Amino acid sequence: MADTPNGANGNVPEKKAEPAPAKSVGDDGLTPAEKKKRAKEEKQARRAAEKAGAGTSTAPVTNGVEASNGAVQPVGESSSQAAQQQQPAQVPRAQPRRPVEQAAAPTSTQHGRNPSTATQPPPPRRRNSQSVLPAVPKPASKPPKPKESKDVPLFSHLYAAQPRPTLLTTPKDIHPAIQALGFQYSTYAICGSTARTAAMLLAFKAAIADYTTPTGTSLARHMTTHFLSPQIEFLKACRPISESMGNGIRFLKKAVVEIDPSVDEGEAKAYLRDSIDMFLRERIVVTDRAIATAAVKQIKQNAVVLTYAKSSLVEKTLVEAHEAGTQFKVICVDSRPLYEGRNLARTLGRRGIEVEYTPLSGIAHAMKDATLVLLGARSMLSNGRLVSRVGTASIALHASHADVPVIVLCESVKFTGKVALDSVVLNEIAPPEELLLPDTTPTTTEGEGEGEKVKTLADWRDIPGLQILNLMYDVTPAEYIRMVICEYGSLPPSSVPVVHRLANEGV
Amino acid sequence: MPSAVSSFGTTPTLATFLKASKNNSIESGIELLVSLLQRRQIRNSRQCALATAHLLLRVIGQERVRDVQVLIKRVRSVGRRLISAQPREMAVGNIVRRVLGIIREVAEEASAEPESEVASPSSGGMRELHRPALNSTISSFSPLHQSSALPASFHSRFGSGDSSNDSTPLIQSFSDLSLVEQQQQQRPALAAAHAGSLFGLFQQPGSARNTPPVTGTSTPIPSTPTKGKVALNTTTSETIDLKSEILSSIRELLDELDVVDSQIAESALDHIHAGEIILINTSSQTVQRFLAAAARKRKFTVVVAETWPNDHQATHSTIVNGSRPSDGTGEPEESFKPLTALGTTVIMIPDSAVFALMSRINKVILAPHTVLANGSLLAASGSSTIALAARAHRVPVVVLSGIYKLSPVYPFDTAELIEWGDPSKVIDYADGELVDSLTVSNPIFDHVSADLIDLYITNLGGHAPSYLYRIVADHYRPEDVDLMSKA
Repeated sequence: MADTPNGANGNVPEKKAEPAPAKSVGDDGLTPAEKKKRAKEEKQARRAAEKAGAGTSTAPVTNGVEASNGAVQPVGESSSQAAQQQQPAQVPRAQPRRPVEQAAAPTSTQHGRNPSTATQPPPPRRRNSQSVLPAVPKPASKPPKPKESKDVPLFSHLYAAQPRPTLLTTPKDIHPAIQALGFQYSTYAICGSTARTAAMLLAFKAAIADYTTPTGTSLARHMTTHFLSPQIEFLKACRPISESMGNGIRFLKKAVVEIDPSVDEGEAKAYLRDSIDMFLRERIVVTDRAIATAAVKQIKQNAVVLTYAKSSLVEKTLVEAHEAGTQFKVICVDSRPLYEGRNLARTLGRRGIEVEYTPLSGIAHAMKDATLVLLGARSMLSNGRLVSRVGTASIALHASHADVPVIVLCESVKFTGKVALDSVVLNEIAPPEELLLPDTTPTTTEGEGEGEKVKTLADWRDIPGLQILNLMYDVTPAEYIRMVICEYGSLPPSSVPVVHRLANEGV
Repeated sequence: MPSAVSSFGTTPTLATFLKASKNNSIESGIELLVSLLQRRQIRNSRQCALATAHLLLRVIGQERVRDVQVLIKRVRSVGRRLISAQPREMAVGNIVRRVLGIIREVAEEASAEPESEVASPSSGGMRELHRPALNSTISSFSPLHQSSALPASFHSRFGSGDSSNDSTPLIQSFSDLSLVEQQQQQRPALAAAHAGSLFGLFQQPGSARNTPPVTGTSTPIPSTPTKGKVALNTTTSETIDLKSEILSSIRELLDELDVVDSQIAESALDHIHAGEIILINTSSQTVQRFLAAAARKRKFTVVVAETWPNDHQATHSTIVNGSRPSDGTGEPEESFKPLTALGTTVIMIPDSAVFALMSRINKVILAPHTVLANGSLLAASGSSTIALAARAHRVPVVVLSGIYKLSPVYPFDTAELIEWGDPSKVIDYADGELVDSLTVSNPIFDHVSADLIDLYITNLGGHAPSYLYRIVADHYRPEDVDLMSKA
């Protein structure tokens, strides 16, 4: 900061007098570097003013120009560097925006008010090159106001810090198999926690096969932190990982760390490869078969089984039951935006199972016919609650209202020691754009005549106060679940922490 | 109210009907409305109610009202046709019953003048506590059928209003009436009239003996007759007064239909306070107006469930644009801005996330398609999930509904009231493999039972679900509940 605070103080009102650092009209002759300096001074002065007790910040100041300057300018300052390229598009909007912004308190910038009301600014200092002050700011030269945050405040802890990686922004040290996997995750090509876990471990197998230990360090020490961790971070950035994936990673890291440094690299890699295979086999493949066999016994003759979205375990169970010769009917319930139930219905239909397909809105009617509800899980929490695709809780609610038993099929690798009381604590927020209907297109921003363009929901980012929330999971209370079937047997939901200790922590 | 769009070559709507009704004959107007209803080109409760009211206005306007009974028969027959066109569109039946109630009320008031002390107190007492008669599927021999009392005319027999009844005068009165009622094809059953007092109790056994087997209720004896006289022939001037009275009452009904939303919105500030998070679904304009009325003064958040697959496009459009674009139905309610423009935060969620968010919701507001006499309602599918989730989280559920949506029908079989929608909205017909192998079902409505609702807000104010039966009693006559029997 080259300028003294004194200069900063004196500069503040001068800044106010001018229209914002007018990038389109260079009438104050400032270079971009100087503008940056002034922006910083602005911020400092503002913070000082705020500390000085800017309690009264609501009413617009007597000097309308000052208020409007004050409201828009500091905002513009803070975003001046970032928002330059957005300015041409934003500029015609700035004028109609302002009254709304000043009228609606919550999301608009609070710091816009303080400088104008906090302390009386000293009389403005002028340079000779300046024109008459205070110039009424022309709307065309207003900097764009920063877009209000479109994150739902309730779930602010769940929003990703950085955007999803793309082909161009992938870090260089990511193995191609992992990179492909990451994009398969983010496009839901691989969806469902069992599938994701298996795919992840297989991709790690491929990555480990290509790994070489650098000289001077051992595999055990180097691989975990310098090789595996970046890959895992990349996968997390593509899509948050599930509990079973977390357990798989913990297993893999443990296996790596336990390798004796004296073992040579080829052997170590073979050992890791075999460990991964064993993990997949024991905790997913064989487990799934065992659970399906146990669950088939629950499907009686002429049953009507209701299921939601697509669970690989439920699909296995239903196919096995059909092959065993039981006559039954399946009701597949589905929801936007993933339409996973459609895939399940297709698979079952191809096998010749009688399937009824209904949207989630038809659940009340479908539940009248159902005799059994089979659900898959993303994870089981230690307080007995089920984390599964959003909408599962509504299904379980209707089932318990109609006295239809709810059975959850879940491998122990999905059990976790975490607890949650509602669906806000642990969840995943997917990009809101996935909820837009495929045929809506954003309207262009030119031609802002009131009746001319009918807006569509695709313009939602431009509408202040509108947010779209695309939750992925919800938490079903334990009292709606009758039984959990895992490889250790059929248990009530309250036994989940016991099995978790046994299976995942080895106690 | 001409629609801006030319109606030639486009799907006919309410606007078409209203425009055509100026020019064509009554019969073709009826036919037009019947076909609009059958083809579901008129969908909304309110539109159906408006169309029915306009049609009945024309029907009555055209009739020469010599005899109230004939008029009632005419209206009933028109009503029967309209209801059979679309039995699940209950608003049609509600308006027909309101109009019949209006006719009866006007007729009673007209005849009440000569016999004010007898007829009017009983006609006033008529509506105090009686229960509306039940669905037509109940036969007259069911014990429930006996629950309403005899009409006031029985008491008018006895001059000074002394209604201590034993069976002898009853039988006499019956035979007297039978002379009077030669025009009537069937015996009257126990039309409700005089219920409030205990006289009803005394009369029931007697009337049970005397009631011949009829299915359901039929038109009652008019409460006009003076002793032994056939009081049905009224003078011409009285006839004209009757008709203009009836027509002006129906016009009041039409006005009521117009201002329903703004009346409901008047109580918005009582129920919505700052900082609340309110859950709604569908694109109901009533709910939007209600929230807009509160949004002008208070800051709150609205979570909208998009109601896929039947209403999601309209919901998206309402969130973004506010009121529906006028389609020339002549709706006098002015258009309103979207809630976001009024400073409210709106969060749109898919219907699957309702339970997940319910722990943070303060209030649920539902808009029904129909409200039934026991306080339960038929609303857009997905509403029962919302109501159950609200009960699980102890969140109050408020229902906004005009009185015209309140039906005197008691839902014995809720499944038959559900309407089924287009399965191609769920799975496109183009997906041949799925179309072959699956059964696709898409219900449009859900039944929400009365114990899940905390409050009804109507254009008459707020009521508990347990009070609705009184409102039904105020607006409908039990003899009109069953319109399907030809009487």
